[in-house]
Amino acid sequence: MAGPVRPAEVAEAGPDLVGQEFDAYFRARRDAVRRTAYLLCGDWHRADDHAQSAFVALHRHWRRIRDRDALDAWMRRTLVRAVVDESRRPWRRERSTDVTPETASEGPAEGVATRHVLVDGLRAVPPRQRAVLVLRFLEGLDVAATAEVLGCSAGTVKSQTAHGLSALRTALGDALDDLRPAG
Amino acid sequence: MDGDEQEARIAALFREAASGAPPPGFDAAQVAATSRRITRRRRSAVAGAALAVLAVVGVGAVAGLGGPGEATVTVASGQAAGQAADQNENSAGGAGDAARAAAPEAAAAPDAGGAPLAAPGVAPAPGSAAAAVPPIGTPLGPGPTDRCADRQDPALRALVEQVLPEVATATEGPVTLDCSVAGDRGVSLEVHDGTSTGVLVVRYFPAGADTGTEGQRAPTASGGTVVAYSWASRAGAPAPFADRIGDVVAYLAPRL
Repeated sequence: MAGPVRPAEVAEAGPDLVGQEFDAYFRARRDAVRRTAYLLCGDWHRADDHAQSAFVALHRHWRRIRDRDALDAWMRRTLVRAVVDESRRPWRRERSTDVTPETASEGPAEGVATRHVLVDGLRAVPPRQRAVLVLRFLEGLDVAATAEVLGCSAGTVKSQTAHGLSALRTALGDALDDLRPAG
Repeated sequence: MDGDEQEARIAALFREAASGAPPPGFDAAQVAATSRRITRRRRSAVAGAALAVLAVVGVGAVAGLGGPGEATVTVASGQAAGQAADQNENSAGGAGDAARAAAPEAAAAPDAGGAPLAAPGVAPAPGSAAAAVPPIGTPLGPGPTDRCADRQDPALRALVEQVLPEVATATEGPVTLDCSVAGDRGVSLEVHDGTSTGVLVVRYFPAGADTGTEGQRAPTASGGTVVAYSWASRAGAPAPFADRIGDVVAYLAPRL
C-alpha cells in the first residue's frame, strides 16, 4: 500500500493526484466537519452551508497548504470563523435566552430528546464560548489545541470553557443530569 | 463524580447531540466544481481589471502629452473611459465578471459629465503623493441582481485595496453560500495589522437593502450604504485596522 503523499510530491503532481488527495480527505472528514458545524450553528442546513464553504476554501488553497498534518486545524479554524462571523450579522444574529424550547418532553426517544435539549441549550451560549465547548467536547481537543484553533491563549480557553459550561447549565436547568457541576 | 468523569459524560452528550445527521447536501464533485468556478471568476476579474488599468494608464499618458490642450484631451479621454465602462456594463450577458472587475478602474477615470462627486479628504494636487489616489468617477453601484451576490466581490475588493493597500495580499476569509440577489457586494479578508490578526469585512448594500449590519457605515453615491468592520481572531486583542475603518468607509462612500 502506498504511504501518505508528501507535500513536495503534491506540489509537483498534476491535478489528478491533487484531486485524489483532496477526495480522500473529503471522504474521511466530511461527516465530522458537518457535525462540528451543526453544534456550532444548531441547524443542519446552515451546517451544510458552512461545511461546504470550508471545503471549497480548502480546495482552493489545497496546493498552498504545505503542512498536511495541519489540515484539520485549518478546517476547524475556517469553520469557527465562518460561524462566529455569521453570528455577528443582524439577520442571523443569535440572541441568548434563558428559556429553552420545550422540545425534550416531546421527543419520541431519549436520544432525540437529548439531542434537542443540548442543541437548543448551546444556542443560548455566546458563539466564542460555544466554539470552545464544541472543540473540546465534540472534537476532543485539549486546551492547547483548542487555543491554537481559536488563536487565543490557553488561559482564555479555560475561562471560556468554564463560562460556556455555566451558560449551558443555566440554559438547560435540570434538563440534563450529566451537565451538573462535579462534586 | 470527578472532573474527568464529568468531562467524559459531557463529551458523550455532545456526540449524541451531533448524531442523527441527515444525508449530506454536497459531495466532493460539487465542492471541486464550486472551487473551480470561483477560481475562473477571479482570474477573469483580474484580467479585466488589468485591461482596464492599461486603458486608463494609456489614456492618462495621452492626456499628459497634451500640453496646452490638456483640459480638452482630458475631457475627451474621460468620455472614452465612460463609454468603455458603459460597454462593459452592457456587454453580452450584461454581468460578466471581467466587466464588473473593470468597473472600479473605469470609474476611476475622470467623469465625462462634469463635476466629480465630493470626496472627503481626497483632493490630490498634481505631482503630490496623493495624486496617486484614483479620482472619483461613476460610482460602482449595485452588484448583479440576476444571480447570487459574489461574497468576495473583486470590484469591491479592488476599491478596498486602494484605500488599504496592506490587504492586497490578504487571503479571502470564509463566507457563507447564502444566495442574495439584492445587488449587494461583499469582501471578507483574513488580515494582519502588526501583531493583530483577524477578519476585515466590507459590505455594500443598494438602496433599501441595508439590514442594519453592525459596523461603521455611510451612505454611498449610488444611494446605497457601505458598512465596514473588523474583529480580532484572538479574544481581547485589538481588531485589525480598527483605527482605519472610518477612512475605509469615507473613501468607499463616494465610489460605491
